Amino acid sequence: MKKQLQITVNGELRQAFVEPYYSLLDTLRDELHLTGTKKGCDEGDCGACTVLLNGKPVCSCLVLAHSARDGEVTTIEGLANGLELHPVQQAFVERGGLQCGYCTPGLILSTVGFLESGEEPTEENIKHALGGNLCRCTGYSKVIEAVVAAVDLTSQRTE
Amino acid sequence: MADFQTIGKSHIRVDALEKVTGKATYAGDIYLPGMLLCKLLTSTRSHARIKSIDTSAAEALPGVRCVITGNDYPDAWFGSGALKDRRVMARDEVFYIGEPVAAVAACDEMTALEAVELIKMEYQDIQHVVNPLEAISEKSVDVHSNLEDFEGFGFALGGNNCTMLDADRGDVEQGFKDSDVIVEETYHTQPISQGFLEPMACVADLEANGRLDIYASTQGPYQVRAQLASVLDMPIGNIKVTAMEMGGGFGGKLRLAFEAFPALLAIKTGKPVKLVNTREEAFTLNGPRLETNIYLKTGVTSDGKILAREARSIFDVGAYLGAGPNAGVGHGLGAYSIPNFKLRSYGVYTNKIYVGSYRASGVADMAFATESHTDVIAHKLGMDPLEFRIKNALSEGDTAVNGSPIPKNGLMETMLALKEKMGLPKKLGEGRGVGISVGEWRSGSGPSTASISVNEDGTVSLLTGSVDISGSDTSLAQIAAEALGLRLDQVVVAKRNTDMAPFTGPSGGSRIVYSQGRAVQNAAEDAKSKLLDLAADRLGVPAEALECAGGAVYVQDNPPQSMDLGQLARMSLSSRGGPIIGTASLSSLPYAPVFNAQGAEVIVDRETGQVRVTRFVQAQDIGKAINPMGVEGQLEGGAVQGIGRALSEEILIDKGTGEVRNPSLATYLMPLSVDMPEIENILVEVPSADGPFGARAVAESPGFGPPAAIANAIFDAVGVRIKTLPLSAERVLAAIQGRTEDEYTVNVEELRKAEEP
Amino acid sequence: MKRFEYLEARTVRQVISMLQRYGENARIVAGSTDFLVRWRAGVWNPDHVINIQRVAGLGRITYSSRNGLRIGALVTVQALEQHPMVRRRYPALAAAAASFAGVQVRNLATVGGNICNASPSGDTIPALLVFGAECRIAGPDGDRRVALDQFFTGPGQTVLRNDELLAEIRVPPPPPNTGSHYIKHSPRGAMDIATVGVASLVSLDERRGPCSEARIALGAVAPTPVRAYSAEDILRGHDLSQDLIQAAADSARDGVKPIDDIRGSAVHRKEIVGVLTRRTLEQALNSAATGPMTFEDQRRLTVQAAF
Repeated sequence: MKKQLQITVNGELRQAFVEPYYSLLDTLRDELHLTGTKKGCDEGDCGACTVLLNGKPVCSCLVLAHSARDGEVTTIEGLANGLELHPVQQAFVERGGLQCGYCTPGLILSTVGFLESGEEPTEENIKHALGGNLCRCTGYSKVIEAVVAAVDLTSQRTE
Repeated sequence: MADFQTIGKSHIRVDALEKVTGKATYAGDIYLPGMLLCKLLTSTRSHARIKSIDTSAAEALPGVRCVITGNDYPDAWFGSGALKDRRVMARDEVFYIGEPVAAVAACDEMTALEAVELIKMEYQDIQHVVNPLEAISEKSVDVHSNLEDFEGFGFALGGNNCTMLDADRGDVEQGFKDSDVIVEETYHTQPISQGFLEPMACVADLEANGRLDIYASTQGPYQVRAQLASVLDMPIGNIKVTAMEMGGGFGGKLRLAFEAFPALLAIKTGKPVKLVNTREEAFTLNGPRLETNIYLKTGVTSDGKILAREARSIFDVGAYLGAGPNAGVGHGLGAYSIPNFKLRSYGVYTNKIYVGSYRASGVADMAFATESHTDVIAHKLGMDPLEFRIKNALSEGDTAVNGSPIPKNGLMETMLALKEKMGLPKKLGEGRGVGISVGEWRSGSGPSTASISVNEDGTVSLLTGSVDISGSDTSLAQIAAEALGLRLDQVVVAKRNTDMAPFTGPSGGSRIVYSQGRAVQNAAEDAKSKLLDLAADRLGVPAEALECAGGAVYVQDNPPQSMDLGQLARMSLSSRGGPIIGTASLSSLPYAPVFNAQGAEVIVDRETGQVRVTRFVQAQDIGKAINPMGVEGQLEGGAVQGIGRALSEEILIDKGTGEVRNPSLATYLMPLSVDMPEIENILVEVPSADGPFGARAVAESPGFGPPAAIANAIFDAVGVRIKTLPLSAERVLAAIQGRTEDEYTVNVEELRKAEEP
Repeated sequence: MKRFEYLEARTVRQVISMLQRYGENARIVAGSTDFLVRWRAGVWNPDHVINIQRVAGLGRITYSSRNGLRIGALVTVQALEQHPMVRRRYPALAAAAASFAGVQVRNLATVGGNICNASPSGDTIPALLVFGAECRIAGPDGDRRVALDQFFTGPGQTVLRNDELLAEIRVPPPPPNTGSHYIKHSPRGAMDIATVGVASLVSLDERRGPCSEARIALGAVAPTPVRAYSAEDILRGHDLSQDLIQAAADSARDGVKPIDDIRGSAVHRKEIVGVLTRRTLEQALNSAATGPMTFEDQRRLTVQAAF
């Protein structure tokens, strides 16, 4: 039986009316029309569905929507400020850190989560932070370059 | 060499902003009013007659709108290549576990799934065969009892061998007789998946006049259109296919897959119907690559000249001839000049999911064998592996397998560049090794059309029927911009569908930059010549005296005498010629080889068998890099796919039933960022004669060298030669400890005998 | 896939009474990293799903030098990995947590859920075993304690009764001069289930000299994660020479009867048990004698076992 669910997405309080078996991913896509978050496997193995839930990167395909009630979610649609891209988005664009784009929203959210966690952005830490994000197109070289560039861009913007 | 304005520069992809903001629309992102969800029932039998299908309980479930089976389709055969050996949905017989037998359209996914479980199937089992080495034998049971009746059946041995490709030159027997050393080996490659992140998806909708609108994740919209028309028995003009943004294809989405299921459901219900594959279905429903067994026999002189080669490769194609050996036959030679050869590639039916294409399929399978084999021969002769390759390398003027003369190319440059970058030859420390692989591929051809219209403000709209699978939209826009002297942002690449964009071959097989790019360049030149004619008329000078650059047409000797493109476009509206549109159409381009050389440095843990690639270097002759950042991206992505193939990827097939045992990304192991080295690229530019601005194909070549390069590096590191993939820790450890059990035997005698009259 | 009713509990009491009420066809979810996957596959078909994520008092992790570590069942694997005292005093546990899946799963998966899942290859379990972890189980008649090495009864099976809830895991404080290490053998450096996982712990009386304690735990090579008691007996109380360590490694290897499965053959697994037991013992001994490594070094050796 469908039940009401309240959740803040990208800073906006939203209502959804979904079955108990609905995942956060399906709720975002089917109910809230935020299709930027992608479904790659629906099993938590690829990271394409990564969103920030209460500030932490999670696989939204694994989260029961109702268990996330009253929480705060950030999706790819919530990063840019109008036409001004988030530094991570900017870096991915400039460094060619994307090709088909399907893994890109998840990768970007994982990166944002990592940068906001305060963990030291060494290459090794970056790779571990992205260890749950599969990309089939880029071979990761330019993705890592983009993340490193994003670190610089972020510190530039806060100066 | 001209100074290029737009090409040769790393522009940001034209679709980058959409993709990083989540605005790009993939087929699964489409939601239409009243849309129904489609779910599939698939066969649980390896080979069986369908005795009965009872859909009544499913149809009665509230929320279910329609249930279809194979009998709801016209009685038509179709095929992905020349051979029409299959039904779009199983009709009387199923040929593999996972084959679709029914489809449901319901108001939501859960209801559709519940309905699928209510469909009752009755099967009668037929004998089946899983092992291709068994299947190719005369004594095997037949997968298809009516092979010779299939339209398009031509040259093959019959039985389960449904296609055979061959190439001969000279006299191999004499060549072997003249050789000092003969090496005979068998190699094996594993079933693998393209692994695209976006499972295939399709939305079918009906227009008011009954036309079918198909929104699909596909590389081949015109091919899907034509095949749909054929299986639904309707005119091609009745169908419009829009290729949506595609989350990876790599050849796996070149052909009609399951679009016909939502299509028929849409026709029957009058509602839009969406089908999105699950990840499991991406493995069990969509053609992967299956195993290949490759026999090689090579004769060489003691000073290292290859005289003769016999190669027989058996490609498991599964239940239908989806993609088959493809170009596998010719790649029994690789990048070498071999005067006498006998090459055979056999496509063999088995009761498994049918094969699709994957990034130079055919070659990719052969390259592991031939490039490992090359090292084995070199070692036997006591020669350095790179020097042995250089000694036998193809050169300009040699004859390629297909009979074309080898034009000017960068093979030697790639090998020398690799040698220098890696400091070869070199000996690394304990447990470390270096290995190389050199590859030959070709730039793809096929029908290509493009049109360019000049807008009233001097910007242009480019209409290309290709699908962007490698950043090609950006490259094509760069080509158009360069030809017309415009900035990249002055070229709009139209979002398109099969109604509006002119026909083009599928986006795969390395043909977009080369052939479609050529068509775009020609179309741009056509538009340019019309602009020049119009300007010549207005400026009162001959067209030859004019230049087109910087958004304007001007007199070469007197630049202020000019008209900008906007002016010309507006003028053209009322001119004799009418609004300016440039078009071009071509059907094939000459052979333009693509050569690459790749090298891997590895460290092998002798006690666990684990292999780590610590460095990967590649040099490729790309002719002319239209967008260097894009080219590097393709090279890096391809190389990592190859590394995955080498070390960890494998579709595990049940030996008894042919079922896929690991249809999940948890157990089909693709490379992650934590394990990959930085990929070092060297772009060699020896321009092709016919590609746009000298460009050659780029994207397929990097994928097929890594397995051999890594196997060769493992041999260098710990002295074991492994002839099957993947090079997992278990396999490497077993080899080091001398307890290898893998054995694949090609019955060469039977194959040779089959050719005797 | 069967439709179910979804309920939330706010207290341990509520959980237990719901479990009693709905019986065998109720299932608890916390991080739910396993639930939806298994439900979609038709492996788990509960009528009632009880979400315990908002149950008070189960989400904290505390450390004191006297009582050691107390991990609430709802603590996420990521929180475990990041906790400074876990990294400092229980390095094998922090590194094992880091080797588990990927960060997006670690941010959801709970330590309690991991343990109750009772996978033979669960990464955090061998490390918890060598540290002598103990489970506090809440039930209708109060709490009971079960040592972790008595908690598992088979693949996916534990001693938990239908109306019980794992509330907390307690890990005693390790004695001074203790080193620990976990190595995971898997094809990739993230995301994979271990083909073999080995954790070792060594405590020395002083920086040199005989070991007062040696513990070895093995994952993915038996129906449950297990301690290699016979191998430990070889070492306990002795100077850990290279020969003795090798003997213990051989004993651990000979003592297991792993199965063939999709990840590896029994033959291969036995080989790896021997190698990883030796390596983790060597590393643990080294840390016991010279002090702990940095977390990054520890993690590197855990997931990139070779080299």
